[in-house]
Amino acid sequence: MRTYIGLVWAVARKDLLVEFRTFERLTSMGAFVVLIGVLFYFSMNTAVVRPQDIAAALIWMTIIFVGMLGMGGTFRLEEQDGALTGILQSPIPLDALYLGKVLSNFILLSVMVALILVVFTAFFRLQFSGNPYALFGVLACGVLGFVSLTTLFSAMTARSSMGESLLPVLIFPLLFPVIRFGTTATDRLFAARPFEEVRGDLSLLAAFAIIFTFACAWLFRFVIEE
Amino acid sequence: MTCGLEAAGLVRDFGGVRAVDGVSFQLQPGELLAVFGPNGAGKTTLLRMLAGVMRPTAGHVRVAGEAADVAGREWRHRVGIVSHQSLLYGQLTMAENLFFYGRLFGLTDLKTRIPERLAEVGLSDRAQTPVRDLSRGLKQRVALARALLHDPEVVLLDEPYTGLDPHASAVLREQLTLLKDGRRTVVLVTHNLKQGLELADLVAIQVQGRFASVANAADLDQAGVEAWYHATVEASP
Repeated sequence: MRTYIGLVWAVARKDLLVEFRTFERLTSMGAFVVLIGVLFYFSMNTAVVRPQDIAAALIWMTIIFVGMLGMGGTFRLEEQDGALTGILQSPIPLDALYLGKVLSNFILLSVMVALILVVFTAFFRLQFSGNPYALFGVLACGVLGFVSLTTLFSAMTARSSMGESLLPVLIFPLLFPVIRFGTTATDRLFAARPFEEVRGDLSLLAAFAIIFTFACAWLFRFVIEE
Repeated sequence: MTCGLEAAGLVRDFGGVRAVDGVSFQLQPGELLAVFGPNGAGKTTLLRMLAGVMRPTAGHVRVAGEAADVAGREWRHRVGIVSHQSLLYGQLTMAENLFFYGRLFGLTDLKTRIPERLAEVGLSDRAQTPVRDLSRGLKQRVALARALLHDPEVVLLDEPYTGLDPHASAVLREQLTLLKDGRRTVVLVTHNLKQGLELADLVAIQVQGRFASVANAADLDQAGVEAWYHATVEASP
């Protein structure tokens, strides 16, 4: 078990090392978050719509779009100079490779979620008086569900001639549970409703995240093997 | 005696196209097989099946007597691969690349092993250089260090000389000569008849997926191998 976790971490560590050295994905995702914040700020008539009332939708739509931008290129690194062949020739179980990729994507997207909260709080003066632990749980489960699906599908589309343009078409329908339960729970938390009203959505979100992660880990071998 | 590497009736189809068509051979430890052939003959596909990164449509591979199933992972400890691509991450240093691959192979003594391997390919002083800053020749030497990091019994070389200048080719050839230590089994796929023949014990010409002809390297000289190669390729339908 320790060895398996070590393999997962080796893949994630390598991805994070490359990312924090080049800032390729973080820069493009970070710039995109700020741009979306600016666009929402100028396109929204705050005399008619209270940003606080639609905070959950703003946050989750931004997570989905910025995640799609960043996670679509998950396997681009492996396509350079044939590195994927090197990994496939090694004895690493393919589900460990997948989980390593999920872990690095989860960390990168979590950094972006923190930035989204900061940017949107600054632009729209969002007030949050709900349960912060519950919000953390909702965002963490939602991000895990999202990255587990996008990591699998980015492996599928990496070798497709349509590539990343195909990814949103394939993945948006499958993301429905994440968006549905994520926005509902976040909305209630921003409205400072009691935790009991969020528990059901949070449980479903967690269940989807776990099911997606395990199912995608199993399916990954069929995607990556030639 | 257990074969170092055995391929039996290997076939690989892509849709309706047969890329590898019934290739069989047995190599003992210490032997080096050079596979020549025109573009599209299926040489790289053959090597990918031997490396376990591609599933054969039919046939099987055995590494030191162990069935080399694509789904199986443990036998991969016995195989190393050098390709015309470096299989390395340009953004990472040589040492970081070797550390990453070492972890994938479950190696624990990387602090001593990595400097040893880099010393063997003459790159001890460049361990902290990012791979993207290296010349093509140096990249291939790191790729060789990566392939030998886990001390494999079988080494597969796919066009390792591609894109190298004459000096870099000569340096790499010296490194590859060291693989003939009597312990490793090596398969070299190349277009370069001269370089292949210099290293090989056995030579095969692959045409349209099949081994059209196989010979002992000792029976061929430079002129003879070229004549034999052209005659075999032209005689194939």
